[in-house]
Amino acid sequence: MTIQSSTRDAASNSSAPRLQDAPARSFELRRETLSNGLQVVMHRDPSLPLVAINLWYHVGSKNESPGRTGFAHLFEHLLFQGSQNVGTNDHFRYIQQAGGVANGSTWYDRTNYFEVLPSHQLDLGLWLESDRMGFFLPAITQEKMDNQREVVINERRQKMDNQPYGRAFERLHELLYTEGHPYRWPVIGYVEDLTAATLADVSDFFGTFYVPSNAVLTLAGDIDTDHALSRIEHFFGDIPGGAAIPQLEVPPARLTQEQREVQGDDVQLPRIYMGFNAPAYGADGWYAADLLAAALAEGKSSVLYEDLVYRRQLAQDVGCYVFPTELTATFAVISTARPGVDPNVLEAALTEHFARVASEPLPEVHFERSLNQRLTDYYSQLQTLDRRADLLSMFTTYFDDPAGMVHEVERYRSLSPEDLRAFAAAHLGTDQRAIVTVVPRADVAQVVACGATGQRDAEQEASVQPAKVPSASQGSDAAEAQS
Amino acid sequence: MSLARPATDRSQPPPPAALRPFDFPPFHHQRLANGLRVLAMSMPRVPLVDLQILVPAGGQFDAPELPGLANLHGGLLDEGTARRSSLELAGLVEGLGGSLGSGAGWNMAYIEAGLLSDHLDRGLELLAEVVRSPGFAPSELDRTRQRIQAEILRRKGLPASLAERFFAAAVYGDTVYGRPLIGTAESLDQIDRDHLKGFYDRHVVPDGSTLIAVGDLDVDQLMARVEHHLGDWHAAPRPSEPVIEPAKLARTEVHIVDRPGSAQTQLLLGHLGVPRSHPDYPQTTLLNAIFGGKFTSRINLNLREEHGFTYGAQSSFARRRGPGPFSVRAAVATEVTGAATEQLLLEMRRIQQEPVSVEELRETQDYLVGVFPYTLQTISDIAKRLEAIAIFDLPSDYYEHYPAVLGDISREEVLAAAQRHFDPDHLAIIAVGSAEDLRPQLESFGPVLVHQP
Repeated sequence: MTIQSSTRDAASNSSAPRLQDAPARSFELRRETLSNGLQVVMHRDPSLPLVAINLWYHVGSKNESPGRTGFAHLFEHLLFQGSQNVGTNDHFRYIQQAGGVANGSTWYDRTNYFEVLPSHQLDLGLWLESDRMGFFLPAITQEKMDNQREVVINERRQKMDNQPYGRAFERLHELLYTEGHPYRWPVIGYVEDLTAATLADVSDFFGTFYVPSNAVLTLAGDIDTDHALSRIEHFFGDIPGGAAIPQLEVPPARLTQEQREVQGDDVQLPRIYMGFNAPAYGADGWYAADLLAAALAEGKSSVLYEDLVYRRQLAQDVGCYVFPTELTATFAVISTARPGVDPNVLEAALTEHFARVASEPLPEVHFERSLNQRLTDYYSQLQTLDRRADLLSMFTTYFDDPAGMVHEVERYRSLSPEDLRAFAAAHLGTDQRAIVTVVPRADVAQVVACGATGQRDAEQEASVQPAKVPSASQGSDAAEAQS
Repeated sequence: MSLARPATDRSQPPPPAALRPFDFPPFHHQRLANGLRVLAMSMPRVPLVDLQILVPAGGQFDAPELPGLANLHGGLLDEGTARRSSLELAGLVEGLGGSLGSGAGWNMAYIEAGLLSDHLDRGLELLAEVVRSPGFAPSELDRTRQRIQAEILRRKGLPASLAERFFAAAVYGDTVYGRPLIGTAESLDQIDRDHLKGFYDRHVVPDGSTLIAVGDLDVDQLMARVEHHLGDWHAAPRPSEPVIEPAKLARTEVHIVDRPGSAQTQLLLGHLGVPRSHPDYPQTTLLNAIFGGKFTSRINLNLREEHGFTYGAQSSFARRRGPGPFSVRAAVATEVTGAATEQLLLEMRRIQQEPVSVEELRETQDYLVGVFPYTLQTISDIAKRLEAIAIFDLPSDYYEHYPAVLGDISREEVLAAAQRHFDPDHLAIIAVGSAEDLRPQLESFGPVLVHQP
């Protein structure tokens, strides 16, 4: 299928373009399904002699059980340790000597594996991916598992436990999601759970989730789609399909009472992590949340940056984002206090801003700027074949609609400033939020005593203690684990 | 799927089809009468443009008594002009969906704008305004100074930043690379508006500067607009190149940055490297890739895949106009810090003693050459290559020959490069972690000095 939107209006050179004027990208897309259930998306673009191969398995940390957190990501590491016909370290070796790059990543809702190769090496990539989809279990050993467990524990230390602020994001999710909600635990998992994982867990997980019918394979780049489809059929066609994936039962995610905690850490400057629940990715409300996040904190002229960082100089930095997740979404704002600024003062200023965006529509200039920024982002991410392939896999996996990638711009342009206000009013209330305030260890007691709201129950008091380990990064870095 | 489908033979990797050759795309290069160089490439795949001006105002020009001047100067360039405040500038560009930024590295300072291509002329106009008449307003100076002061404070808590700072001091001593590019709390307090204006007058001049433009643009139209906005930028002598000649260490030294309670050790070791202009550049690139520059490098396979000591180990030759460092990095489990260091030294010695295997050389060359088109997908990928041409005075046909040059290097040349450019007996070894745990593991490598962050 070919998707084409309206043609480019080259005349409008004098004023800022709106998304209404979005120039079109013409995308050649073709979609097929093999008899074993594997979904295939192909996108031809011969500008460079490259092909991106991107495979999404619809399984992530949300499919883990408590006690086995981090398993989806550990499993992703194991999938790079060889299969029946591919030696232990040979996956990367084959790819690199062909002039390609490869990696994988694990997220709450999915795990992806990808390579970009010179286009004449298409077969190599298909051979590697099909061998581990169909013939992985014969190659796994206890030794490989123990080795990769150590690698992952070191990954966790490097990204979280040995970084300032490194455990704040994990804690925010623990406060924001109730017991039993699969977004409550971190994608990388807890060390004790990683230690407990067994080889039996590996074969169960593989048999349940790593089946063709739970996967989307996307090729993007310098391909002939008829030829490529025949090669896909050749390598993947004889892998048996699988049973349907077990349905998740998920408790509701909305908070009705503020949750807060002060974390002591080896840091010099206090930092606030404030989280809320937003509608799931794909909902209108998610796009409103994302556009609001851009208006609040993307660029120097954004609402929060201009006021808190530039004018009042309460903050060293401020960031705002909403995760593109399937069950529900985390809307978060993260801001570091300037030296000498009481974090409770910074928190009160943030609270004031959220109250304002919930009561008055954003000024047009902020709304327009954010729309234009999303338009630039859209074009920017189309530049690489890897990103395009990943987006096509994502839209197919989540929404059964690869073309949704092209139409996403329209989702933003259907919004009005009032939609952003309505989102804020419905989701960004003080009783709907969780707050983790990270402070230098010596300041914990003082910051707690002067808390902005003073509303803490006994259980929360008890949890106010220095983090066990000094700690890490923020936002999606902390949540996405790479191989 | 038909029933007669033959079984797929999976026992061997499938052979490649015919290679589709790739050449670095042509680009325009020109020098204006005032000395400003322009490098431009038309790349119309998406309606975006990337513009930047590089000026010879990098940290390599910092005076010993004022480290951080170039960095503060670079950060201030886009914080307002004679006509417009910082917020006005940002609001103009961001309102169009674009971005504006400035800063400094060791080699150069930069001002850059990313925009939808319809706004190319607006972008050039603002870049020209920023480069020709920055405001250096006292309020912006204070604001930026405080932001950098807070950043210095923040870095004291980051194990990787701590390691870099003590490594630079150990390897470069009292030469410019030994002092922090970002400056120190003390030096920043001393910098005033006159320092900044003096630095600007000496370093922000068209001769020695380069404008880079990549994206959905027409080169002739671009050149006309560049002439319009920057053709009358007054000529002035370009600053003379500083001499950076650090002495190598007398012996291996161990520096522990004491961070009690650390969850792991941030390890960084290395020594002086060579300037980017050194004739052994291609050989050291290949050497580094084999040693620690790719996933299947010797040290990553050893420390990560064989021993499980780390999430990853990498090495690099930092590419600077002066002799940037060769360094090796890994965040390792605390209890194996000594063992990991030992393995890294063994690998350095091994690659100096025996030639790399034929297969290892071949597959690394195939990787570096084969991956070249992949590294040129975006307008900023291309801009980075043009930047290298500008910063390191490379010939304009450099990237046409680059793959062939790499592909022709022999095992003997890699061995010779390892012998000339690796020196496992004169290392600075930096370990950030608990001194109590680390000292016993590291004292066999050399005299130990313990530092406070």
